[in-house]
Amino acid sequence: MPIKSLIHDMRSRSSRAVHDGSAAAAAAAAEEAAARAAAEADCLSRSCWANMPQELLREVLVKIEASEGSWPSRKSVVACAGVCRSWRHLVKEIVKVPEVSGILTFPISVKQPGPRESLLQCFIKRNRSNQTYHLYVGLTNALSDDGKFLLAARKCRRPTCTDYVISLHADDVSKGSCTYVGKLRSNFLGTKFTISDGQPPHPGAKMPKSRSTRLVSSKQVSPRAPAGNYPVAHISYELNVLGSRGPRRMHCTMDAIPASAIEAGGVAPTQTELPLSSVEFFPSLPFFRTKSNRVESVSSGPLGSQKDGALVLRNKAPRWHEQLQCWCLNFHGRVTVASVKNFQLVASPENEPAGPQHEKIILQFGKVGKDLFTMDYRYPISAFQAFAICLSSFDTKIACE
Amino acid sequence: MSSPPSASASSSPPPCPKKMITLRSSDGATFEIEETAALQSKTLENMIHENCASTLIPVPNITGEVLARVVEFCSKHAEAGVDDESLGAWDEEFVAVDHTTLFDYIRAANFLEIPTLLDLGCQTVADMIKGKTPDEIKKTFKITTACTPEEEEEVRGENQWAFE
Repeated sequence: MPIKSLIHDMRSRSSRAVHDGSAAAAAAAAEEAAARAAAEADCLSRSCWANMPQELLREVLVKIEASEGSWPSRKSVVACAGVCRSWRHLVKEIVKVPEVSGILTFPISVKQPGPRESLLQCFIKRNRSNQTYHLYVGLTNALSDDGKFLLAARKCRRPTCTDYVISLHADDVSKGSCTYVGKLRSNFLGTKFTISDGQPPHPGAKMPKSRSTRLVSSKQVSPRAPAGNYPVAHISYELNVLGSRGPRRMHCTMDAIPASAIEAGGVAPTQTELPLSSVEFFPSLPFFRTKSNRVESVSSGPLGSQKDGALVLRNKAPRWHEQLQCWCLNFHGRVTVASVKNFQLVASPENEPAGPQHEKIILQFGKVGKDLFTMDYRYPISAFQAFAICLSSFDTKIACE
Repeated sequence: MSSPPSASASSSPPPCPKKMITLRSSDGATFEIEETAALQSKTLENMIHENCASTLIPVPNITGEVLARVVEFCSKHAEAGVDDESLGAWDEEFVAVDHTTLFDYIRAANFLEIPTLLDLGCQTVADMIKGKTPDEIKKTFKITTACTPEEEEEVRGENQWAFE
């Protein structure tokens, strides 16, 4: 007799006996047996997938990862990583970092170096009414399309500086939020900027002492510990020799990326996990899973050897076009509106002879519409760092028309 | 007197007798399968070569019900002259079964090393997963393992961003 009908039979028998005192005990026992049988039946149907051998589950997940290579269908890969621990472990093993695959998958992807082989095409939408900026990765080769949302930034003007708070949530852009990623801060004149990361850029990174980063003691109850504040880059804008009639000069020191990153065989630090808001935040807490084989390129110490300085990026100097009477840069079709904000950044050979690695464009930004800008970036900088650098171009007052 | 051409009129040689292999399932049922069809299974291929004298192969891990279907699959895929489109349609119908049966097919394909069936089975499961949220996947596959609050929060944050 099938289990389900057996249970039904037992239940109907037990309900008939409910008013009889002596039969009540028998009814209770029958009910209990029925419940046990139901649980057993349930277990059998539950167990087949839950006990699927790892190698078969892996086959399935590999197929999903391979076929859902672009957004929005890429979200299926993220969904699989959220089912349970074993699925998560497998997915994280299968998915390659953007440096290798050229694809952004998890939120942490926006903190990891971009692809080595090509520029990742993104675009930024500006909303003047609420002083916010939204970064998207393009879904096609078009200058803009529906895009996949990556990061949002909100401008906060203060008496002596301006902050751009950067978050993973399109609408919740505040420093206390668990989606806080970092910020860009400008000085009073808008000539110098600092990019700060909410989590350590590499193992052993130290946070500067400041009032806003007081740690919460373990005895206090705090739903959200304050996020960290690790400076990861400094940007400065200067006029060139032609003053405000010429293009400005940009100088970006990427404190968290060694200059050797762009050499053959070089590596850039790669974060692998975002901090959890419910975890109390201690600067020495490592956010790098050393056991994980995803962490292929994390430098073992801060910025490698001591002789290895930080990577410096400078903007490529435009050429004066005599006939068109304007400054020109070849944006390869990705920028269509002339603007002093447009730029291309290349690695600057600070203490060494220039080589082909100093020709590659690492970040390109420019206007394509009223409040629409393209942003193309590649290794060794991340989408977060690229976004912050572009925001500084919006903010700086140097050589504005 | 010359004989008139026979009704069958074909000049092709008579078909060779196909070598048949007998498979025995875990519950004792036996199934016949052409050797050419059986060769789609790497496991069976090895067994055939090892036991060249005997044509009865025990398959202890698979029940009769599932083995019958696997034999059907291999026979179909060994058939000559079937175009890709109709084979694809046949495959689609083959995997239009309940989860338990699909899972049994995949396990059988894995044990018998039948790449076409394994691929088909895994692809079917992959297609069932695509487009679903983690909760929907857990429901479909009846996965109930518990997560810590931290893990849950990490997953919630990731999926909020991914589904934005």
